[in-house]
Amino acid sequence: MPRHSRFRSFEIMQIQPSDLGLIARVATLGKHYGEGAGAVTALDDVSLGLRRGEFTAIMGPSGSGKSTLMHIMAGLDTPSSGRVWLGDTDITELSDSALTVLRRRRVGFIFQSFNLVPTLDVRGNVMLPFELDGRRPSREEQAWIDELLETLGLGARLGHRPHELSGGQQQRVAIARALATRPDLVFADEPTGNLDSRTGREVLGLLAAASARYGQSIAMVTHDPIAASHADRILFLADGRIVRDSARSTPEDISTFMLAMEVAA
Amino acid sequence: MSTRLKDQWTTLLVAALAGTFGVALLHITGLLGAAIAADDVTGGSATVALMLGVVAMVFIVIAIYVSAVVTANTVSTVVAGRTRLIALLRLIGSSARTQRAQIAREGLLVGVAGAAIGVVLGTGVAFALDEIAVANELMPATDYGYLNVWVVLPAVAVVVTTWLASWVGSRRVLRVRPIQAIGNSNEQDREELGRSRGRNASAIVLSVLGLAMLVAGVVWGPTNPVWMIVAVLGGVVSFTGIVLAAHVVMPPALRLVGRLFGGSPSARLAAENAVRHPERSSRMTIGLVIGVTLVTTFAVAMESYRAMLVAAQQVRPEVYAGIDEMLNATVAVFTVLIGFSALIAAIGMVNTLSLSVMQRTRELGLLRALGFDRRQLRRMIVVESAALTLAATAMGIVLGFGYGWAGAQALLGGAQGQIAFVLPGIPWALFGGLLVAAGVLTLVASIAPARRAMRVSPVVALAVE
Ligand SMILES: Nc1ncnc2c1ncn2[C@@H]1O[C@H](COP(=O)(O)OP(=O)(O)O)[C@@H](O)[C@H]1O
Ligand SMILES: [Mg+2]
Repeated sequence: MPRHSRFRSFEIMQIQPSDLGLIARVATLGKHYGEGAGAVTALDDVSLGLRRGEFTAIMGPSGSGKSTLMHIMAGLDTPSSGRVWLGDTDITELSDSALTVLRRRRVGFIFQSFNLVPTLDVRGNVMLPFELDGRRPSREEQAWIDELLETLGLGARLGHRPHELSGGQQQRVAIARALATRPDLVFADEPTGNLDSRTGREVLGLLAAASARYGQSIAMVTHDPIAASHADRILFLADGRIVRDSARSTPEDISTFMLAMEVAA
Repeated sequence: MSTRLKDQWTTLLVAALAGTFGVALLHITGLLGAAIAADDVTGGSATVALMLGVVAMVFIVIAIYVSAVVTANTVSTVVAGRTRLIALLRLIGSSARTQRAQIAREGLLVGVAGAAIGVVLGTGVAFALDEIAVANELMPATDYGYLNVWVVLPAVAVVVTTWLASWVGSRRVLRVRPIQAIGNSNEQDREELGRSRGRNASAIVLSVLGLAMLVAGVVWGPTNPVWMIVAVLGGVVSFTGIVLAAHVVMPPALRLVGRLFGGSPSARLAAENAVRHPERSSRMTIGLVIGVTLVTTFAVAMESYRAMLVAAQQVRPEVYAGIDEMLNATVAVFTVLIGFSALIAAIGMVNTLSLSVMQRTRELGLLRALGFDRRQLRRMIVVESAALTLAATAMGIVLGFGYGWAGAQALLGGAQGQIAFVLPGIPWALFGGLLVAAGVLTLVASIAPARRAMRVSPVVALAVE
């Protein structure tokens, strides 16, 4: 947005998320499933902002609403109430096709498993977001992609299909794809859930590095304290509410808090 | 593992159609036989009735053969989609053999149901046709008894082939390893890697042997009709070889056809999907290849015959007067009879494509999450369907052209007294019809899967199983 309007928006109390250094924001978010006696409240009046360039972990026990929150923030699901912004775009009521384009250009995904299109080789998977957009990467983008593939140790695997790769290698390809378009925000849902602990640590190190070195904003859902300890900031969810918002913590601190939460429940 | 009833609808439909076709054809043959016997001129001509019976049998066997291929492929596809469930059951102690026996048992039940439907419907169809023909004075009323014992034959054949086809189609249950229940991510991709050497070897042997017999039949057929039988057998043997080798033969054809659709992401993925699992795509297309090959073989042979007759007619018009109408009627009847098998094959393709899309829900969700919009997804499915249909049709036309010409040469090469080269007749109308049918089939086959694909939510890609 143009500079001068910044003050005007202050005047009329419409502060844009980016003015606060936020890359994504949700306000008074609610998500309910079902009706009557069987109704489930997955998210209950959640308001939060993710800061640009930060690696944020979203933690909480199973069923606390982590995945629901992430789906809504990524434009994959719609809230029952409240509003959602990605950057300065209010995505709450965007059409399906607008959301599709948004996912293509401004969001990256890393899932727990089944991340890659089985028919495409490594190169095809990493290039897919550009292809979907109907364009070739610019020279600068290509250099970035090459650097990514090199850093992630995929240089020699470009022609391999997903089923020829180990779980850790598949996650690396997913990371390369998620970072390739330099999206506003990368969402990762339990990215290490299917990996052994050593490979998992490697993947987490790569995510943390992407954030620290390149300023990539990342939101990662996890229930693993060690995974969360790689993050700059940790949000705790319980029963669809944010119950704690802490800075970088040690795995021990995180475990202690999680245990306390379970005892309280 | 018990396959759900939903998965058995196609098998039931195919069994019922084949049964109906067989029973109706036998009744009609019986009716014609009774009419011929009652006729003063041809009266008592047992040969004509016998010929009719033989021709009917040939078409019934073809229809049942095609339906068996379709059923085996349907069962195979269903089992492929259940790998994980089967693996889980194996993990907790169920034996592969028990699971396979269960599938075959269901095949037997479905076969019995299909045969019963076939007997009832087939008799009804024959009865209705007879009534119409008699009412329009196309045929004399006869005292044909519908309690024809011969209809037991197609009924039993349907039961047995459906049973056997389920057994053969469920072969892959044995290949599922319990570990696949806990394996992660792309295990589906490994589903078809195991490939039997025995199958490839027999495919090569059958193709080569069949081709040799076919060539011998073509070369010596014109001198002695016995070689004609060799040629027919050669055709059957070599075609069986090709069917067995479909997983090798079809992918190049699919790749070639896939190029026609350009390089957009949806087209590229569609083309890749079509060739990704050679076995899966050959499963989907081989029935159609068989159907189109049969139709084309008959049409090319008939067309060559017609071309020869037309040439003869120009020399001695008086002898060949009225031959055109007779030929046209014969071509029409044969096309309908053989077209029925092609229809069964088409049903098989519609179903397997639909199943295979259903089995890829997760992948479709992933594409949606990564930024494929609904239209791109639909285009992908339509292109995949078009690639499969076109490749199968083209393959069938090429094969049918070869077989049809070989048959014409073997049968007609010596018809003029000395051995002559029979120019292959080109049934343009049929080719046009086939292309239109392929277009229609593409659309029909992709409607349901495309609609389902468009409804897939990107969230399913994130779901942890
Ligand atoms: N599609 C749905 N229908 C009904 N309830 C749902 C659905 N998705 C999630 N839920 C419920 O919402 C709550 C939060 O789910 P989820 O966000 O998946 O939790 P988490 O990822 O933290 O384990 C759970 O109680 C879950 O059962
Ligand atoms: Mg979850």
